[in-house]
Amino acid sequence: MTVIEREKRFIEVFLVDDSTGDVRLTQEAFRAANASIHLHVVSDGVEALAFLKRQGAHVSAPRPDLILLDLNLPKMDGREVLAYIKKDDTLKTIPTAILSISDAEADIAKSYQLQANCYLTKPAQWDEFEALVKSINDFWLTRVQLPRAAGAVAP
Amino acid sequence: MISHEISESKESGAKYRGLLEAAPDAMVVVDQSGGIVLLNVQAEKQFGYHRDELLGQKVKNIIPEGFAERLIADGTRSAAEALAQQIGTGLELTGRRKDGSEFPIEIMLSPLESAEGILVTAAIRDISVRKAAEKHLAQMEGRYRGLLEAAPDAMVVVNQGGEIVLLNVQAEKQFGYSRDELVGKKVKSLIPEGFAERLIADDLRTAADALAQQIGTGLELIGHRKNGSEFPIEIMLSPLESAEGILVTAAIRDISVRKAAEKHLAQMEGRYRGLLEAAPDAMVVVNQGGEIVLLNVQAEKQFGYRRDELVGQKMKSLIPEGFAERLIADALRSAEDALAQQIGTGIELIARRKDGSDFPIEIMLSPLESAEGILVTAAIRDITARKAGEANLLVKVQELKRSNEELGQFAYIASHDLQEPLRMVASYTQLLSRRYKGKLDADADEFISFAVDGASRMQRLIQDLLAYSRVGTKGKDLLNTSSEEALQQALINLRGAIEESSALVTHDPLPAVMADEMQLVQLFQNLVGNAIKYQNPGTPRIHVSAVRSVGKKWIFSVKDNGLGIDPQYFERIFGMFQRLHKREEFAGTGIGLAICKKIVERHGGSISVESRPGQGATFRFSLAAGERTT
Repeated sequence: MTVIEREKRFIEVFLVDDSTGDVRLTQEAFRAANASIHLHVVSDGVEALAFLKRQGAHVSAPRPDLILLDLNLPKMDGREVLAYIKKDDTLKTIPTAILSISDAEADIAKSYQLQANCYLTKPAQWDEFEALVKSINDFWLTRVQLPRAAGAVAP
Repeated sequence: MISHEISESKESGAKYRGLLEAAPDAMVVVDQSGGIVLLNVQAEKQFGYHRDELLGQKVKNIIPEGFAERLIADGTRSAAEALAQQIGTGLELTGRRKDGSEFPIEIMLSPLESAEGILVTAAIRDISVRKAAEKHLAQMEGRYRGLLEAAPDAMVVVNQGGEIVLLNVQAEKQFGYSRDELVGKKVKSLIPEGFAERLIADDLRTAADALAQQIGTGLELIGHRKNGSEFPIEIMLSPLESAEGILVTAAIRDISVRKAAEKHLAQMEGRYRGLLEAAPDAMVVVNQGGEIVLLNVQAEKQFGYRRDELVGQKMKSLIPEGFAERLIADALRSAEDALAQQIGTGIELIARRKDGSDFPIEIMLSPLESAEGILVTAAIRDITARKAGEANLLVKVQELKRSNEELGQFAYIASHDLQEPLRMVASYTQLLSRRYKGKLDADADEFISFAVDGASRMQRLIQDLLAYSRVGTKGKDLLNTSSEEALQQALINLRGAIEESSALVTHDPLPAVMADEMQLVQLFQNLVGNAIKYQNPGTPRIHVSAVRSVGKKWIFSVKDNGLGIDPQYFERIFGMFQRLHKREEFAGTGIGLAICKKIVERHGGSISVESRPGQGATFRFSLAAGERTT
């Protein structure tokens, strides 16, 4: 049933990354992996929260099925955005994956402490990057059962 | 009447007259009945009679008691016996002058044979002075005995006539007399010159003045022992009021040792002066009491004193702490041991100048045998400049360390941040290659391929540079680590390369070492990886082993059967970016062994290689042994 419903609509992926090069790589990789994905992109933490809270220019923003969050962002960094998401009762159920160039232990540990759903390091080679995005699609957007909406969860 | 006969006997009279008159004492010759038959001038003076008034008179007139009785035979003894008993013994009796006054005497009897039988010659000494002294002594004894005996020096109390009235045991010992022999004696017999004269008044000064001049000043004189030997003394005089007038207490110190030292010093001066002055350092010779006995000009300059201000002073005034203590024996060690411990070792201490300012010194001690025992020569070097230099060096070292750390940080940050744009270059050229290969022309394909290759190599280079800089900046503490487990981990990391090359990697049991485990894994990984990489056709065989070495070290060997290395490159291969092969033959950045070297050196070890071209290579490195865990 869920699978049927998912086929009916686009999958909304929210990417927060200030590197236009990475954004484009991600777009290219998702395009190759799954044609029914809507990739929404903002480039700083403040705007990311505005999108999630549907504020300002983002009043009609969809609720994302998956958030891909970079750590080092202008204005408000990825850790703060992550902390906000995981404290907010309506947002905390959205799977949030950290996608960073950092492979530092401290960054990884901190992200999981803030309840990131997984931590991914951006590969240095295109082939690997493409494979990583494909595996995100295969797992988080295909295999995993996701909650339909925030209201669906009993308190 | 007998006396008359003798006096008429001209030969005998003339014979005795000369003898009697030469005697210093009063002499009286008495017959057996106690009549005076002969006397000398001294006897006349002492008793205040004329000769004529005494001749033929009973001796009882001048010595009322105790003398005549002794001469006379009684029922129990003959005259000869009576006499024999008395001969040669000093009798203390009382003499009576013509004026009726009495005075104490000592008489010595001796027999004198004559035609008239045995006569008795009595030598009569006026012992008033001695008796008075003895009386005084008895009084004084009670008062001063304790005080005198407590004094460390020989103490002699002398009256204004220069006669000894009191003395202590030290004085007996020092001069070799018993007390009785000295009381009443002239002090001149102990100190022939320079002492008695000082006490005696003359035309120019009163006794009090004479004494006052001498009080409190130390006089150096010569003392005479009973056995005739002489020794140098120092005496200090002080007045002592008494019923008999002012007495003088003389504290007499035997200064033989000091004098000998002074004499020796004078000799040493001659011998060592040249030597001392030739020394570039301040030189100070010190005795075991810590007193300075000799020094050179440099010492005067360095400490700001004149020579005469220092000789005899305690070394403590120059070096307040740490020097004297080293010389002095204590319960745990003898003086020799104390000194022996210090000889030849440079000791850093703080010295003090006359003006009170302190400065750092280094001293070297050496023994100097002398007649007075072992002296210590201290060579004292002002190390102010060296200390300043050391401090400066320390600052420089710290600066260097900081700048080195900064450089390490810079290299790390630079290579880290270079990764990001490079990732873009690499990813997009690869994306171009994937998506457009065969869709553009042949040139485009070739250009893109070069761009992809260049970007990949630069990525490897930067990764290796990062790894290299991480060895210094991201290293962990050295802990007890199983090198065997580290090797296993390295082999797991190399699994792909091992399978691809069908390499046979073996190892002996490997020990625990003190290491940063991650770095140890990397070390094995780089060395084994190299051994697999630089191979001849055929099966690569690699063996890892370790042997115990001196100083708690293990020497590890990674031995292969590969290409080997020409000895001329042994040094070079451990440098940064050093490659021995063309890129087309073997990929690599030339940093792998530099990383190995940096890891080993960070662990306090060293790395080297032994090889011949075509015969494989053995890399050896040392690591500190860990604690045995099994």
